[in-house]
Amino acid sequence: MSEIKERSPDQLMVFGIIGGLLGIYLTYLLPLAGERIGGKIEIVLNTIAPVAGALGAICAVIWGADAVRRVAKYGLGTGVPSIGQIALGMGIIAAMFGLAIIKTQPLAGPVVAVITASIIGFIIGWFAQNVIKMKIPVMIRCMTEIAAAGAIIIIGYSAAVAGNYDFVNNLIPRVFDNGVILFIFWVGAVAMLHPFNACLGPDEKQKRMLYLAGSTGASTMAIVGLAAIITIGASGAITMILGIVLWIIFYKKFWDEVYNDAASVVGTGLIPKTEA
Amino acid sequence: MVLDLTMSMAILALLGALATIAGCLEDLESDVGSQSNPNSQVQLAPQMGFLHRIFNKAISGEPISNGMSDVTGGTVTSVLLSAKFYPLTAIVIGAFVAAILYGIYATTSYAGRVASQTRFKQPLYMDIMRYTTPSIIGHNFIVNFCLVAIAYIQYAVLGYPFSIPFLALIWGISVGAIGSSVGDVHYGGEREFQNREFGCGLNTALSGRIVRKAESGLRNSIDNVWFCAKFGGPATGIGLGLTVFFSSWRTTIWGYTWEAMGVGVIILVIMIILNRLTEISVKNAYGPYKEDKEEKEAGSVAH
Repeated sequence: MSEIKERSPDQLMVFGIIGGLLGIYLTYLLPLAGERIGGKIEIVLNTIAPVAGALGAICAVIWGADAVRRVAKYGLGTGVPSIGQIALGMGIIAAMFGLAIIKTQPLAGPVVAVITASIIGFIIGWFAQNVIKMKIPVMIRCMTEIAAAGAIIIIGYSAAVAGNYDFVNNLIPRVFDNGVILFIFWVGAVAMLHPFNACLGPDEKQKRMLYLAGSTGASTMAIVGLAAIITIGASGAITMILGIVLWIIFYKKFWDEVYNDAASVVGTGLIPKTEA
Repeated sequence: MVLDLTMSMAILALLGALATIAGCLEDLESDVGSQSNPNSQVQLAPQMGFLHRIFNKAISGEPISNGMSDVTGGTVTSVLLSAKFYPLTAIVIGAFVAAILYGIYATTSYAGRVASQTRFKQPLYMDIMRYTTPSIIGHNFIVNFCLVAIAYIQYAVLGYPFSIPFLALIWGISVGAIGSSVGDVHYGGEREFQNREFGCGLNTALSGRIVRKAESGLRNSIDNVWFCAKFGGPATGIGLGLTVFFSSWRTTIWGYTWEAMGVGVIILVIMIILNRLTEISVKNAYGPYKEDKEEKEAGSVAH
C-alpha cells in the first residue's frame, strides 16, 4: 500500500475545514460585499452566495469520508454506517447549538459549531477508546474529525437551502419547519459513510474513494438545490445545475478509477477458473 | 380533518394495503442487490475463491438506505406540493427522483466493492450492472411511492403534526428494519446455501461458499429475487402491513383511550402465544441441530 501516493489526513483536514468554512462564510459575506458595491453585481452576488454553502459542504463530505475510512479500516465492516450516522448526529447537535447560541455575532456561529462538534466528537472518541476499550489508535482523532465534518455538512447544505446560516430568520422557517433538515441530516450522513462502505475491500484505494465522496456530495447538492428553488428561487436552480455537473464529473472520475483498479471489466462472460 | 368511522376505516385499509406492498417490494429490492445480511456472504465469496455473478449492493443496512430514499422522496414531494403540484404527481416525481438517487448509489457500491477485490480476480460484469440496476430502481420506486403516499395521507388527511419528510423517514427506517429482520432470513440460508441441508446452520468453514450456479446457467441476482418473491417478500409485506393495521386499528375504533391500550396488550399476548406455537411446531418438524458429519454428507450429495 505504501507505494501508492495518498493524500495525508492533515491535507484533507485543512481542505475540509478551510473549504467548508469558506463556503459557509461566503453565503453571509457575499451579500454584504454586494451591498457595498450595489447595482447588478449585488444581484449576482446575492444569487450565487447560497451556492457556496453547498460547495463548502462537499469539501466537508470529502474530508469526513476520509476520516471514516481511516477509523473504519480497523475492521469495522458493519460499523461504517453507524460511524456516518453518529457523525451527523453529533454534527446536527453542535450546529444547532453553535448557530442558536450566538445570535448577536453572526460571524462566530459556524466556528462555535465546529468547535462544539469537535468537543463532542473528542468525548465520544475518548469513551470508545478508554471506557469501551475499542483499542483503535486513531479513534479519538477520527471521531473529532468526523463530528466537525458533520457540523460543516449540516450548516453548509442548510445555508444553501436557507440563503445563509442566520438561525432565527432563515434556518428555522426555510429548513426546519418544512423538514428539509431531515433530508440534509440523513442523506448527508449517507453521503459521508457511503464512499468507504462502497469501496470496502482489501484493494480499496483512497483516490477512488475520494472521487466517490465528491460524487455523493454533489448528488446531495443537486437535491438540496431542488429544495432551495422553492425557498430562495434562482440560487436554488444554480445549486441544482452545478450539483448535477459536479456529480457527472466526479462520477465519471470514479468510473475511470474502477476501470483502472478492477481485475477485469467484462461485458458478460463465465466465471474465471479458480482453485475452489 | 375529522372523519367518520367508515371513512377512517377506509383510510386504515388503504394504509395497510400500501404498507403491505411497500414491505414486500422493499424486501425483494434488497434481495435483488444482496443487501443487508446476505451481503456479507456475497462479499466474502471471492475471498474464498468463489467468484460469482451476483450484484453486491452495499448501501449500508436496509433501515439507513431506505430511510435515505424515502426522506429524499418525501422532501422532493413536499417541495413540489408547495409549488402547487397535484399530490399524486408530486408523490410520483418525488419517488422517482429518490429511486434514481438510490440506483446511482447502487451502481457505485457494486463497482466500488468489486474494484476493491482485485487480488481475488473478481471481474466486474457490466451486463449484471445493466439489467440489475433498473430492477433495483423499479422496486425502490414502488417502495418510495407507497411510503411517501402513506406519509402524505397521514399529513394531509389525518392531520399528523409532522412534516412529510419526517413521516417518510420514519416509514423508510421501519420498512428497512422489518425487511431486514423478516425477509432476509429467507434469502440467507435458503438460497445462498441451498446445497446444504435445510436448517443446518452456517458452519464457519462454509462462509463465503455460496451457490453460484442456477437451475440453468450461472446464478445472478434476478434468480434470487425470483426465489425470494415466493415467500420472503410476501412475508415481509404481511409483517409491515399487520404492524400498520394493528397499531392504527385500535385507535381508529376506540380513539386514544385506555381501552385501545388494553386491546393493544391483548394483541401482543396473542402474537406471543402464536410465535411460541410456531416455534414449537418448527422444532418438532425439523428436530435439533445435526452433527457436522451428516452436514458434510448432505452437502456433498446435493452439490
